[in-house]
Amino acid sequence: MRRIGVFVCHCGINIAQNVDVKALTDYASQLNGVVVAKEYKYMCSDVGASLIKNTIKEFKLDGVVIASCSPRMHEHTFRRVANDGGVNPYRVEISNIREQCSWAHSNKEQATEKAKYLVRSAVSKALSLEPLKPSTLKVIPEALVIGGGIAGIQTSLDLANDGFKVHLVERDPSIGGHMAQLDKTFPTLDCSSCILTPKMMEVANHDNIELLSYSEVTSIEGSIGNYTVKIRKKPRYVDVDKCTGCGDCASACRLKDRILSEFNQGMGKRGAAYMPFPQAVPLKYVIDDKKCLFLTKGKCGDEPLCKKACAQGAIIFDQKEEIVERKVGAIIVATGYDVMDPNSVYEYGYDQSPDIITTLEMERLISSSGPTKGDILRPSNQQKPKSVTFILCVGSRDETQCTWCCRIGCMTTLKQAYLLREKLGEDVEINVCYNDLRSFGKGYEEFYRTVRGLQTNIFRGFPSEVRTIKDYLKIDIFDTTTSKLFEIKTDMVVLVPAMMPRADTIEFSRLLHLTLSGDGFFLEAHPKLRPVDTFVNGIFIAGCCQGPKDIQDTVSQAGAAASRAATILSQDELEIDPLIAMVDEDVCTGCGICVEICPYEARTLNERKRIAEVNDALCVGCGGCIAACPSNASIHKNFTKKQLLNMVDDIM
Amino acid sequence: MSIIDLTSMGEPQSDLKKELNDRLTKLQDEISEYCFQCAKCTSGCEAHKLLELEPHKIVALLKRGLINELVNSDVIWTCMTCQKCRERCPQRVAPVEILFALKNMAVASGKQIPGKYTGMLQSILSMGLIQDIQQTTTRSNKILKRDELGLPPPSKPTDVAKFQAGIMKIAIEKV
Repeated sequence: MRRIGVFVCHCGINIAQNVDVKALTDYASQLNGVVVAKEYKYMCSDVGASLIKNTIKEFKLDGVVIASCSPRMHEHTFRRVANDGGVNPYRVEISNIREQCSWAHSNKEQATEKAKYLVRSAVSKALSLEPLKPSTLKVIPEALVIGGGIAGIQTSLDLANDGFKVHLVERDPSIGGHMAQLDKTFPTLDCSSCILTPKMMEVANHDNIELLSYSEVTSIEGSIGNYTVKIRKKPRYVDVDKCTGCGDCASACRLKDRILSEFNQGMGKRGAAYMPFPQAVPLKYVIDDKKCLFLTKGKCGDEPLCKKACAQGAIIFDQKEEIVERKVGAIIVATGYDVMDPNSVYEYGYDQSPDIITTLEMERLISSSGPTKGDILRPSNQQKPKSVTFILCVGSRDETQCTWCCRIGCMTTLKQAYLLREKLGEDVEINVCYNDLRSFGKGYEEFYRTVRGLQTNIFRGFPSEVRTIKDYLKIDIFDTTTSKLFEIKTDMVVLVPAMMPRADTIEFSRLLHLTLSGDGFFLEAHPKLRPVDTFVNGIFIAGCCQGPKDIQDTVSQAGAAASRAATILSQDELEIDPLIAMVDEDVCTGCGICVEICPYEARTLNERKRIAEVNDALCVGCGGCIAACPSNASIHKNFTKKQLLNMVDDIM
Repeated sequence: MSIIDLTSMGEPQSDLKKELNDRLTKLQDEISEYCFQCAKCTSGCEAHKLLELEPHKIVALLKRGLINELVNSDVIWTCMTCQKCRERCPQRVAPVEILFALKNMAVASGKQIPGKYTGMLQSILSMGLIQDIQQTTTRSNKILKRDELGLPPPSKPTDVAKFQAGIMKIAIEKV
């Protein structure tokens, strides 16, 4: 005979004001199998916990029903209390009489009746609950970081300095990401490369970091503590051990200065043998197999000049891609963002004039390592502009494009306005067209004020279009501060484009089973309390892949993600929640439907036994296979059909 | 290149704008550029309720350099100089000072001064006050004289001719 104890919580007055807890407790004590029922004001408090523990001992209970708030709130708490008292934690059943009863109803009499039904059915389930034991899993104390921008760099360094081995995978030939393209950073005007390159060098030289540049993750299997990752290393056509980064190959390349440089946002040129930028890490050249004459046409004059020029013999044209495998305990996704194509806001005519550029292109113009060596020149005629006009929120906060705020556009504009004033002098007209100016960070508002004081013409309103007229650009703008329509004739227009999820985010999210939020960025497990966790245990997100962010926020988040990952990596083994699926081997026909529908790849077919099996480490207990199984062979532990039907019978 | 107000085809008068901003700097007020158009000045403007003065818009036009438009407008004469806008501006811009400067510019350019101002000017020249305040009405509608409140009689220039000469000197030298 089972011995169940029922504990009714008042939750202050949250439950007590709409449910007669005294009557409910009296009722519960009469139920079949119940040996004691007690009530208390706050069951989740220390006193409440002691009450449960002492009652368990006094009445020798072997099962507990707690009538309280949602199991999402305190199931974990009460499982722990029961365990401390000597009852198997999986023999605890929560009856939610707050969210599903007292909060939902106003008639006390009826709500009390409903609470009785709920408790009765919970008792019937408690009577058939099996004692379960969590299994354990060994943790591999290594991490995979995907993305080598500032987020990935910071996370890798933090974890590596904590003593964990880190595998940092970067898709491009060099790490650095968008931050490497920037000239200065707001609001302190620190030189972006000056603060980034030391970190990049640290990554390159850190004993605990394996840098896999020019590589992509192709598959991820396993679960928290034990993932197996396959990584495709794209051929560089350069032997990285021999390459000294001297640049002779790039100087010799027949296509030198004939291919648009991605790093310079198409404002400068490179060759087919190239290094993306001078401070690249690793400092190794790469041959662009989509452009190289020898690799695309099989012929490069009499012989490939790069190969001839390389004294080290580092050029290998028959280098093949390589798939490598790594085993890790945690994964941090830091894949960054894409800049919206400004052509999607056609009225601003990005493709109509070379003098209409984006903030990132302007960044390359301002940068001393950029195509103009830091001189601000109009792309159309290489002359100094007499007037530059910024248009904010191009595609941002726009129901037809990206509904969100890019969170960096305002400050980027102010920073560039400041630098342009510094570089171009007092006589140049600088105009800014904005709607709301958001300068929310530390020191940002002060910076905004400084820029206002530098003769910046700030118009509140957006132009409807930018017209390209012979050698200048014309903008009509209605300024809401003066209620006047102004005509601006300007030399250059800088568009501040929206920040978007990476183009391959959906594909990538399927690879990792990550959830996306409505805007298409990766969704965090909780917007406030679990901002770097995902819904997949052991996978964390950092930086702009989660949503637009500036460098400050990205670095903070990267540190947070590293710390969350370290929580897992620092444990020798992890407990796995036993509330997962299992297979009744006598009933399973091996049809394989569960294998197909399982979104976590936790199901496999045992060909020898001709039955389906569950990988305990992968199963999250979603219940998909239980619903799908045509022969009732899939069973969810402690949520069996019999248990659930008993509960229903008691409610009906 | 250029910015034109298409409504009036007016172009910014940068020299006048500089002159005005310099004057604000001299008075230790901030230049108009710092105004971020919160309109706190207009929300509390005593002249706005009756006379439609919008100090924030005056500052906005100054920022655009449309000074002539302001100087030629009648609305600049509605300011009661209560100083609330200067007192409460979160950016320390003083619309009231801008209005003083604009009125001076209007006078200097020979523009007709509204009639009541001439009366006030006469009053100042003759007794040093816009108005010779002798009594006041309390909230409970009681009329009280200055001496009943323990106030001394208002001080007036002892030598009116000398006072007038001083005022004229100030006006000519644009102090």
